[in-house]
Amino acid sequence: MKKIILFIVFATIVNLTAIAQDYHQSLEGIEWVKIESKSSIIVKAYDKNELLIKAGNRGEINEKAKGLRLVGEDGTDNTNIGFYVIKEGNNLIVRNLKKNEHAIIYLPASQNISVKTTWHGDINIFNFTSEIEATAELNGSVAIKDVTGPITANSLNGEVQVSFSKVSQKSPITIYSTNGELEISLPKNTPADLSLYSTNGDIYTNFDISTPSKKGMRSVSSKKIKGTINKGGVNIKLNTTNGNIYLRKR
Amino acid sequence: MMKKNHITELIPEYLDGLLSQSQKEEVRLHLKECESCLKELEEYKTIFNAFEEEKEVIPSEHIKTNFFEQIEIEKQKESKVVPLINRTSNQKKIWLLPIMKIAASILLLIGGYALGNYQQEQKGNHKIAQLQEKTQKIKQTAMLSLIGNKSASKRIQGVNYIDEFSNPDEAIVAALVDRMLYDENTNVRLTAVEALSNFITSEEVKNAFIKALKIEKAPAIQIIIIQVLVKIQEKKAIIPMKKLLEQNETQPFIKEQIKSSIINIV
Repeated sequence: MKKIILFIVFATIVNLTAIAQDYHQSLEGIEWVKIESKSSIIVKAYDKNELLIKAGNRGEINEKAKGLRLVGEDGTDNTNIGFYVIKEGNNLIVRNLKKNEHAIIYLPASQNISVKTTWHGDINIFNFTSEIEATAELNGSVAIKDVTGPITANSLNGEVQVSFSKVSQKSPITIYSTNGELEISLPKNTPADLSLYSTNGDIYTNFDISTPSKKGMRSVSSKKIKGTINKGGVNIKLNTTNGNIYLRKR
Repeated sequence: MMKKNHITELIPEYLDGLLSQSQKEEVRLHLKECESCLKELEEYKTIFNAFEEEKEVIPSEHIKTNFFEQIEIEKQKESKVVPLINRTSNQKKIWLLPIMKIAASILLLIGGYALGNYQQEQKGNHKIAQLQEKTQKIKQTAMLSLIGNKSASKRIQGVNYIDEFSNPDEAIVAALVDRMLYDENTNVRLTAVEALSNFITSEEVKNAFIKALKIEKAPAIQIIIIQVLVKIQEKKAIIPMKKLLEQNETQPFIKEQIKSSIINIV
C-alpha cells in the first residue's frame, strides 16, 4: 500500500513538473495554425480545443541561460519553452526558436495546420481530419499518418510519406518532392483522379488506374500517368523530379 | 472601343430609321469596321425584306370574307356524302378554288410562323450567348476567389479551374502569373507554372516565365520553366539560365539540364 501511495505522489510530482514545461494557448477564432521550425517537429491530434506545446528538453534547465531570454532571428521566446507564439489575424503563428531541439505540438483533430521546417527538421503529423500543408524546405522528411486531407506537401531532399485513413473529396491533394521519394497509401476504395509524374524517377502502384484512351489506343507515356481509380473523384497529384513514387492500396 | 461593343441591338432601329443622328453615325462608323455586325445587318435586311414581300400576298378583306363563305360551303358539302367520281369537271373547278385558298392561307400561316420562329431563334441565340457569357463570368469569379483563398489546396483548385476556359482573359492570366511568381506555397507555384505553360505563346506569359526563372528557388519548378522556355527556343532565357549555372545553390541536375539544353537555343 505504501508503495502505491509513494508511486502516486511521485507520479503527481513528475506530472506537475511536466505541466510547468508545457505551454497552452486558446484557439478561439483561429483558422490556421502555422508552425515553423528549423528542427524536427511532431504534431499530434488530441481531444482538447487548445494548443499544447511540449518542449523537447523536459526538466533540463540551461543554468547559463538563467535570467536571460532566448532570442531567435524570427522572434523572442514568449512562452518560456523556446517558442514564439503570436496571433496574426485568424492565423496562429508558432515558431520553434531552438535550432536543435524537438518538440511535440498537440492540436484538435479538426484544426487546419501548416508546418514548415528549414534545415534538417523532419515533419511528423498524426491523426488529423483537417487540411494540412507541410513543407520540408531543405533536408527534412515529411511523414503524415492517418489523415483525410486535403494535403499539400512538398520536400526538397527528404522523403514524403502520407497514409490516408480516408480521402476528403473537398479540394485537390498535391504532393511532390524534388530529390526524395514519395510513398503514399490510400484506402483501396478511394475514388480519385490521379496524376502521377516523375522526371527521372519511376512510378510503382498496385491500383488499377483506368487511363483515358484515344481512338482505342491506350496512352503510353512512360513519365506522366493520368487516370482514375474507382470511377474518379478528387484530384490527387503526385510529382517528383528525381525520386521514385510508390502508391499503395491500404 | 466601338469594336468591342457591337451594335447588334441598334440594327433593327437603324433599319427602321428610328435612331438619332449621332447614333446613326455611330452605327455607320462601326459597320465599316465590324464584319460580324455588317453580317448581322444583312441578315436583318433579309428578314425585313421577307416581311415586306409577305405583306403583298396577304389576302384582301374581300378574299377573306369569301374564304370564310367558302369554308361554310365546304362544310355543308362535306356533310353530304357525295362520291367524287360523280362530280362533273365544272364542279371540280369550283371545289378546287377554295382548296387553293385554304392552302394559300395555310402556307401564309406557316410562313409567318416560321419567320416569327426565326426571329425568336435569333433572340434565343442571343440569350444563350448572354447566358454563356454569364456562366463564364461566374466561373471566373469563382476561380479568382479560390485563387485568393488562404488554403493552398483551394488555391490549387482555383488554378486548376483554368481548364474551364478555352480562352482565358487578362484578369485570369494575371491572377495565374501572380500565383506563379509570388505564392508562398511551392505546390501552388508549381501548379500555376504547369497551367500557364499551355499559354506560353502569349508574350505576357513568356515574360512572366523569364521573370520566374530569375526569382524561383524551388528546383522542381525551375526545371519545368527551363524545359518550357527551351522548347519554344526563347532567347531571353539564356541570360537567367547562365546566371543559374554560376550560382552555388543551384541543384546539380538543374545545371546539367541547362548545359544540355542551352546549346539547343539558336
